[in-house]
Amino acid sequence: MAMSLSSNTYNRQNWEDAEFPILCQTCLGENPYIRMTKERYGKECKICCRPFTVFRYCPGARMRYKKTEICQTCSKLKNVCQTCLLDLEYGLPVQVRDTGLVLRDEIPKSDVNKEYYTQNAEREIRNSDGTIPTGALGKAQAPSDMLLKLARTTPYYKRNRPHICSFWVKGECKRGEECPYRHEKPTDPDDPLADQNIKDRYYGINDPVADKLLRRAATMPRLDPPEDKSITTLYVGGLDDYISEQDIRNHFYQFGELRSVSVVPRQQCAFVQFTLRTAAEQAAEKSFNKLIIRGRRLHIKWGRSQGAPRPRDEGADPNLTESGIRMEPVPGLPGALPPPPTSEETPQANYFNLPPSGPPPLMGMHLPPPPGIGPPPPGFVPTTFPPPLPPPPFIRGPSPVHYPSQDPHRMGTHMGKLQM
Amino acid sequence: MPKVKRSKRPPPDGWELIEPTLDELEQKMREELYDYCVREGYADPNLIAKWKKQGYENLCCLRCIQTRDTNFGTNCICRVPKNKLEEGKIVECVHCGCRGCSG
Repeated sequence: MAMSLSSNTYNRQNWEDAEFPILCQTCLGENPYIRMTKERYGKECKICCRPFTVFRYCPGARMRYKKTEICQTCSKLKNVCQTCLLDLEYGLPVQVRDTGLVLRDEIPKSDVNKEYYTQNAEREIRNSDGTIPTGALGKAQAPSDMLLKLARTTPYYKRNRPHICSFWVKGECKRGEECPYRHEKPTDPDDPLADQNIKDRYYGINDPVADKLLRRAATMPRLDPPEDKSITTLYVGGLDDYISEQDIRNHFYQFGELRSVSVVPRQQCAFVQFTLRTAAEQAAEKSFNKLIIRGRRLHIKWGRSQGAPRPRDEGADPNLTESGIRMEPVPGLPGALPPPPTSEETPQANYFNLPPSGPPPLMGMHLPPPPGIGPPPPGFVPTTFPPPLPPPPFIRGPSPVHYPSQDPHRMGTHMGKLQM
Repeated sequence: MPKVKRSKRPPPDGWELIEPTLDELEQKMREELYDYCVREGYADPNLIAKWKKQGYENLCCLRCIQTRDTNFGTNCICRVPKNKLEEGKIVECVHCGCRGCSG
């Protein structure tokens, strides 16, 4: 194996001498009292092959003695336990954690490149705080909920059990009762989990345990955005009598402007409609299977059409703004096309390509269409209009209102001042 | 050693060969002879000294109480009384194969 000139291991000054190992709770075991031996430069790190301080301890009765397998530098680079090489925060394999956080940490794996990298990393670690993992992991990230769901909640001490007695498997164990190894059936050698490699596990490549976990993650319940791009409505179920429309608004306004919120108390649900599709998608992602208001877990699904369905009996019409102006369907979304411009458009200075004032509202869309039938058939090529701006000074008359924020009577508008 | 047979089982092989010698030792041993044996190295005085102490009457060997030989400065596992050791665990000490010399 090629070695760089400066990685000469006779350079003892640079060998690692640690005071305390970096271990996860499971590896330490259930007993809070642990006796540990410390052997300076006891073994070479399984990843970077440099001498390091080996800590050896017994993680509980009937457990095998465990020791640190990789050095502190390698452990800090990937934020993993020195013994089991699982993430310190989630207890998951490196590959799963990197997939969940969408992290691509390309550290070199071979020869001189690896040695050079670990040397520099060690120097960087020495100069830094020591509590923040270096490299790609150091950047602040939002905790991934997929990882939180995959992570264990209680420690898995079966990992610390002694290995299987290979003599017993052959029928030749002479130690009998006092044999410290397990006299149990070994795992199936055909099982892909049987061939694991410490380097693969560390670098997050080709790890069978990680593959199994990721497959499980893919089958977890998800909410996919519907293909019909004009749907910006979310169905929110599981409400009770204590949850008000204001509570719902208070939660959902963070994702974008709410076009309308209509609560149907009889069916314990609400329909939340956003003005932008992206806002709705973000809201769905952040709320699906997670949202809890006043102690009730809410059930989020996609709604159906552009106009929120009118409630059967009482309750405000969702297509009205607060001041009572009827909101027209948003023209920028496909399927909700305004009529083509007529010849009388040109005399009027239509500099902003706004639809003529008073387009006919979309009829028949107030009741939710049966599932499977979307908005008007995709015969039209959806032309994208820029979102309607507040009326420029030289157009007389009120222009159509699509969003509550366009409502001229709302607080903060300049409508009255700019008219000439 | 008293001559009373405590076990009900028949003795294993080889007992017939050594029984006469042991009986003779029993009968002929006296203080002068004992001192001679100790001096000549037929008996280990250090170990015998330990047997005279309370709690060490059944000590298997001197290595098992040597704390310098262990990682954490303790005695060997064979010195742990059986009732303190979790049930069903058979230990064989690594120095001399002893299975429990106290308790």
